[in-house]
Amino acid sequence: MKSDDEMKFFLKETEAVRDEIRRASNSVDWEALPGLIADKALAGPRRTEHVRRASGPWGWLWSLRLRPALAGLAAGLVVGAAAMYFVLRAPGGRPDAASAYHASGEFLDRAELEMARRGTLDYLEKSQYMLLDVFGSGEEGPVVPAAVRAERARDLLQRKKYLNGQLERFQMAKAKVLCDQIEVLFRELSDISEELSAAELARIKDLVEERQLLLKINLVKRELESGV
Amino acid sequence: MIDSPARPQTEAAEIAALLRRVQGGDREAFMTVIRLYQQKVFVMAYSILRDREDALDAVQETFLRLYQKAGLYRQGSSFQGWLLEMAKNISIDSYRRRRRKRQEGETGRRVEEIPIAVMDKGGDSAASDLRSAFTRSVETLAERQRMVFVMRHYNELAFNEISEVLKISVGTAKSLHFKAVQNLRKRLAPVLGMEP
Repeated sequence: MKSDDEMKFFLKETEAVRDEIRRASNSVDWEALPGLIADKALAGPRRTEHVRRASGPWGWLWSLRLRPALAGLAAGLVVGAAAMYFVLRAPGGRPDAASAYHASGEFLDRAELEMARRGTLDYLEKSQYMLLDVFGSGEEGPVVPAAVRAERARDLLQRKKYLNGQLERFQMAKAKVLCDQIEVLFRELSDISEELSAAELARIKDLVEERQLLLKINLVKRELESGV
Repeated sequence: MIDSPARPQTEAAEIAALLRRVQGGDREAFMTVIRLYQQKVFVMAYSILRDREDALDAVQETFLRLYQKAGLYRQGSSFQGWLLEMAKNISIDSYRRRRRKRQEGETGRRVEEIPIAVMDKGGDSAASDLRSAFTRSVETLAERQRMVFVMRHYNELAFNEISEVLKISVGTAKSLHFKAVQNLRKRLAPVLGMEP
């Protein structure tokens, strides 16, 4: 096929897609849609976001990208403070037993277990996206630029540090083994500053396949979701 | 292609004023913004997802996110670029979720081997095969190349608009487009009997 024919083919195919988009667009009720979306937006809770500025005495923490660490710290403070509150109040009794709220140690343990379970699920979910990004890489290289990927890997490594204690404390052995295996891969990905070479990419893909990591992630996620 | 809903005379200041009202919970202002940009957002989402319902979900999610993030818009920057970037990110997330679901259903196969759903419109099977091959070739381009190709040819955005949405330089957008076309030629060469 000549270059002219080739160009005609591309133009014909892209025009066909544009036709498809036009048909799809023509079938939408554009008059009604704004009202439906506005109803939904106004019905939901408003969580207005403002520009986060790295100012003030603690502004530098954001610029150091310590958000995962801060989130862990904040969660620890809330749980710790709640636990201390109930522990210290317990012996003295409550002045107004009818209106006071009491949480047992068992309840707090369950709450912490639930937090650990959700934290692990979230970590596995994000890890899965990361591995799928590596798998989605074509011949020309990875889908996500190396720098972005390395940064994501570093974020996940940082989260893993906070997860370790919880995984051990609640004896989530299966999840711990899997998270440890993923951690090794992320350590490699975070160290690679240049674009992945085809050989490196193939090696990492082989590792993921050999250890059936994506399958294992799905299984462990399912177990965690069902609360096993 | 699809009629542009954004009035050319809608200046950045007008948009900024509308967004301030949206921030204050003004329903009419919010509906005005949706009316102005809903079709452009739909085209962006549909180009990536190639499914009407998924694209409509993405349109809705984009505007709901806009409602939450209206305060983050910086006056002076391109509102359309900012909004389409949001739509693109939401559509890509949805595309990945869909891909992951497919992958879960085919755990024994590698992600890149899983066939991409292509709507078969029936008719001439040879033409349909070519169409499938073309669609699949576009789908398997590296993400940035695919995004530039889709925005250029399906959304008919200019390179400077693409550079705003993808936050890259115009030169990089052109270079990615060139690579995308080259790669499409290579991939389609066996199907079309071309010289790669």
